[in-house]
Amino acid sequence: MSAALQVLVVDDELAMRESIAAWLRQDGHQVTLAESGDRALQMLEQGVFDLALVDIKMPGMDGLELLRRMKAQYPDTLVIIITAYGSIESSVEAMKAGASDYLLKPFDPEQLMLLLHKAGGQRALLRENLALRQRLADGECPGFGDIVGRSPAMLAVFGRIEEVAQAEAPVLITGETGTGKELVARAVHSRSPRAYGPFVAINCGAQAESLLESELFGHERGAFTGAVKARRGRLEMADGGTLFLDEVGEISAKMQVALLRVLEDKRFQRVGGSQDLTSDFRLICATHRDLSQLINQGRFRQDFYYRINVLSIHIPPLRQRTEDIIPLSEHFLEKFARETGRPRARLDGAAGQALCSYPWPGNVRELRNVIERAVILAPGDKIERRQLTFLSPQAAEDAAPLTLAEMELNHIHRVLQAQDWNIRQAAAVLGIDRSTLSRKMKKAGLRAP
Amino acid sequence: MAPQADNRPDAPATPLVEVVPLGRVSQTAVAVAAANLQAIFNLNASVSAPWPEPTYALVPTRGQYDAGPILRALAQDQAGPPLRLGLTGRDLCLPFLSYVFGEAQVEGRAAVVSMYRLQDAAQGGKVSRALMLERLAKIALHETAHVLGLVHCQAPGCLMNFASSLASLDRLRLILCPDCQTILARRRQRLRDQISQAPQSSRGLPGPKG
Repeated sequence: MSAALQVLVVDDELAMRESIAAWLRQDGHQVTLAESGDRALQMLEQGVFDLALVDIKMPGMDGLELLRRMKAQYPDTLVIIITAYGSIESSVEAMKAGASDYLLKPFDPEQLMLLLHKAGGQRALLRENLALRQRLADGECPGFGDIVGRSPAMLAVFGRIEEVAQAEAPVLITGETGTGKELVARAVHSRSPRAYGPFVAINCGAQAESLLESELFGHERGAFTGAVKARRGRLEMADGGTLFLDEVGEISAKMQVALLRVLEDKRFQRVGGSQDLTSDFRLICATHRDLSQLINQGRFRQDFYYRINVLSIHIPPLRQRTEDIIPLSEHFLEKFARETGRPRARLDGAAGQALCSYPWPGNVRELRNVIERAVILAPGDKIERRQLTFLSPQAAEDAAPLTLAEMELNHIHRVLQAQDWNIRQAAAVLGIDRSTLSRKMKKAGLRAP
Repeated sequence: MAPQADNRPDAPATPLVEVVPLGRVSQTAVAVAAANLQAIFNLNASVSAPWPEPTYALVPTRGQYDAGPILRALAQDQAGPPLRLGLTGRDLCLPFLSYVFGEAQVEGRAAVVSMYRLQDAAQGGKVSRALMLERLAKIALHETAHVLGLVHCQAPGCLMNFASSLASLDRLRLILCPDCQTILARRRQRLRDQISQAPQSSRGLPGPKG
């Protein structure tokens, strides 16, 4: 099958519509039929189409008028004009209005197949372009990005990333919270043959089951209250790229069965839909949980586990690779200096020692936050021991006494983190006005990561 | 050309496909189609008595049969095995396509194959009868696989590649790629399960979807 396309066929003749649809389905495409220009515009309002095959001669709005409206409102949908009554004038008019091609019925199967390949190529370019723009917006580095390490354990992880990147099999990334599982998933994707396809991530632990189902599989218009428009799910969005399921250990048994079916049949349906869809994605899952323990407890399906755990990467916790703490800290200091435009701060000896002796229960994420706080608190370009505020109570007790202003700033920072940087909620917890909190944040240079 | 027979000893004898000659069709061609369905897809095939020439499908202006009405007629008759493959000696077309070698209802009940163009050589003239029958077997298997739910595949040489010309048809091997083999095996098993669960009187189910 060439890349499966969403195709809209617009023709007033039932036999023509149905025969085109049947033929396209043999090639694995998803086909929607419209008997008039008005109906086609309704369909375009409800769904996303890669290609439209439009007959010129139709009662009411003719194919050329539909073409003009489509190019104005849905420029990403390719339009091929098909007609049994060809003329040089109409073909010139169609091409001027933006048609990708003009075919005279009946045409050779090879001609149509070539156009479908062309449409598939154009769609791939469009998606690649979107994916690249998204990656630029995310500030993704072409190398290993924020994954920094010189310990033997991390060098082994880098080697493993290179190995699994070239395979097509599903990957399971394990590691404690904050070890950088998504970064590793992105690194696998960016080194794989799918690097120019989309990287689509979803945190399965942060969604209710029904929402997760709709997010993953998409939904048709009217599938549930509020589904006013058909929406593509993450499975469809990941076509040609990588689908990353974070916190896969939190997925319900029902969703595990649904995903297992997708992995086995390579087909799925949107919520409220009846049409089989296909998507060519590579699956990467991550979890901080011990899945074999969950299987023993009957909370995770063994067959699903075997399906997602074909290749694995384990990221060791930061406490087991203390030689990475200083390089990571330097990396974050560099990053924050670049982001804030301030001079790059440096750690003094006592600060470095404190960082290396802390157990880092929150791993690299916690280290990043500690460094960010320290950069904000440090008056100059030197970070001292007293500017390091750890979340662990024992380490906090060890810290040197802080000024009242530093204590206040620390507290604000922690509350903001706990409230996911929601200023309204954080202000309510702190018992101050939203505007007061915003002012304090601005003064201290605090902002959401 | 290595056939991929799934010759499991427990394969049931109930026919899953009926090969239907439409009008005057060579008995050898019918036998070749049935034998390949059996040997390569492990689908027990039976051969029916010839059906009348499908003149209802004739497009007078083109002198060809429209494959659509033939598929509907093949699918409509619920008696017999769940899948039905029609063979015709006349050229097939679709309203929008100038010709097709065959056509099928994806995940439906019926497929139809034309032998009209299969003797043509790429450079003009005729090919050997053996090559013509090999082409017939490829199209019969390809279209039957569509009925079982397989769609076109791009794996090099896979029988489910789309072949728009005789030259591209000749490049295909009489073999499915591993992915298509897996899907075929699963669909075949589902069909057998449905057959074994269905009462004798409704052996023709499941009906067409498309």
